[in-house]
Amino acid sequence: MTFASLAARNLLRNKVRTLLTILGVAVAVVTFLLLRTVISAWTGAAEFAAKDRVVSRHKVTFIMSLPKRYVDTIRSQPDVKQATYANWFGGRSPGNEREFFATLAVEPKTYFEVYDELTFTEGSLAAFVEDKSGAVVGDVLARKFGWKLGDQVVLESGIFPNPVDRTWSFTVRGIYTTTSRTADRSTFFFHWSYLNDGAPQIVRDEVGWVVSRTKDPSRTADVGVAIDRTFDSEDTQTLSQDEASFNTSFLAGFSVILSAIDLVSGVILLIMMLVLGNTIAMGVRERTSEYGAMRAIGFLPKHIAGFVVIEAMVLSALGGVVGLGLSVPIVEKGLGGWLEQNMGGMFPFFRIPPVMAVAAVFLSLALGLLASALPAWQASKIRVTEALRRVV
Amino acid sequence: MTALIELRQIVKEFTRGGETLRVLENLDLDVERGSFEALMGPSGSGKSTLLNLMAGLDRPTGGSIAVDGKRVDRMSEGELAYWRANSVGFVFQSYNLLPVLTAVENVELPLLLSPVHATERRKRAEVALKVVGLTDRMSHYPRMLSGGQEQRVSIARAIVADPLLIVADEPTGDLDRRSADEILTLLETLNSEMGKTIVMVTHDPAAAARAKLTRHLDKGRLRATEASAREPHGA
Repeated sequence: MTFASLAARNLLRNKVRTLLTILGVAVAVVTFLLLRTVISAWTGAAEFAAKDRVVSRHKVTFIMSLPKRYVDTIRSQPDVKQATYANWFGGRSPGNEREFFATLAVEPKTYFEVYDELTFTEGSLAAFVEDKSGAVVGDVLARKFGWKLGDQVVLESGIFPNPVDRTWSFTVRGIYTTTSRTADRSTFFFHWSYLNDGAPQIVRDEVGWVVSRTKDPSRTADVGVAIDRTFDSEDTQTLSQDEASFNTSFLAGFSVILSAIDLVSGVILLIMMLVLGNTIAMGVRERTSEYGAMRAIGFLPKHIAGFVVIEAMVLSALGGVVGLGLSVPIVEKGLGGWLEQNMGGMFPFFRIPPVMAVAAVFLSLALGLLASALPAWQASKIRVTEALRRVV
Repeated sequence: MTALIELRQIVKEFTRGGETLRVLENLDLDVERGSFEALMGPSGSGKSTLLNLMAGLDRPTGGSIAVDGKRVDRMSEGELAYWRANSVGFVFQSYNLLPVLTAVENVELPLLLSPVHATERRKRAEVALKVVGLTDRMSHYPRMLSGGQEQRVSIARAIVADPLLIVADEPTGDLDRRSADEILTLLETLNSEMGKTIVMVTHDPAAAARAKLTRHLDKGRLRATEASAREPHGA
């Protein structure tokens, strides 16, 4: 028998209570990990952004477009290796309006040079480039809608309604996948020129944004500054950011949601601490006379406090480990895959970040320590003679 | 015989709800080494308070307490805890065993505080349980024992560190007559054969009669001291 084993044995005193507390902590850890994974999946695109890509967009707002001639100007910058462009199409599959996926009108040849982490699993880039009404789709999106090479796909867009019958027809020429964990595998790409030709005159020859690849990744920020300076005297000015900053500014639109999730995950930890604190406080109250007897036979206040703290930490560690043990299969085997398949646009890679898994267990321990602080202090301050008089 | 415990001009006051209550009033008392004494008196007479002071569980408001020549009333909290662990064995009315520990582990508990090796701790606990006649109940948890057996485990815990003094607060209060007799016989044996000094608080005249000396307290003062009829006290 040791001090630690004595403290841990107290957990066996009321097995049901111990089990329920461990489960309570475990559920809190699962919820915390899920919420943190949501944030991580959402912000992952910013964290894992390419270091050598610069995104230039309208200085005022992301939704305003740039003149297409800017692309050539940017390409002529000395430090730019390649530049491409895209327009947000906002396409929807008629009959499946609630199924969201990104639809981008791109320059077919250069886009996949700038985004070379996108690779073709079926079909070829050449087939896509040659067919003006061709499209390439992510493998996840293709699986979801059952699209195969050669399939005709009809989309409609609220931003660019086709002047003829509001819909746009495409032929699937390629299916891509990616080597990047955070790249979306549910995007629908098609020719920018196809959109431009069919779009109303007023929005023709405009691009949503330009993406440049720099020759020297360490000079990416300087390249952005140089691009912006080029258009300083134009009516339409640009704001160029490295890809991480661009993604972050895009996410800023969701900052309220992200902050709310942050707050909720903090509240969950607080609840977990209160659950633990309550259990520990109940245990201390029930054992007052025992602690009195222990103090009488020579145990010091620090020993009594130590027993309470160790008990709380064992409890919280068990809860943390069980929570982690439940979270991994829930996310890795079920929820993660489902979200990637069905909400790949928002969660292209939904997996628990290892650092967060470790953090959850350590946070459980830390909260166990915090939760036990007050009961431990109270237990250590018990007056021996009063404690011995108390009959529970 | 020489005095093991010397109390001089002991005053003990408690403050309850803004009112100060004097429980012990200028009390002088010597407890001889090797004696077995009973403290009796009505509720509120101060007998448990006196026992707590002798055992170093509480501090006097005034006066001095010396046990085996050591000024207990001047010790710090840590020194007092260390002294109690090595010099005093406690027997409580409600036994106060830890339900999650077996009998032998409960007896071992006070030795956790000493630098004794685990094997030696276990050996000493087994010897103590043998003394109280519970060799066959070592692995039993308190819930598996009768009240008398639990109190015997409690006595084994009290003697395992070989203390100078054993204090017992109503040790037979929760027991039937037969079990109480067994416990009192055990205390007598510890006193007569192992030379332990025992001070016992009791309400029960039959239990007090088993002690060598009975002191009567009333309203914080010693009113009478009588030697047992069975074994007259010479002091």
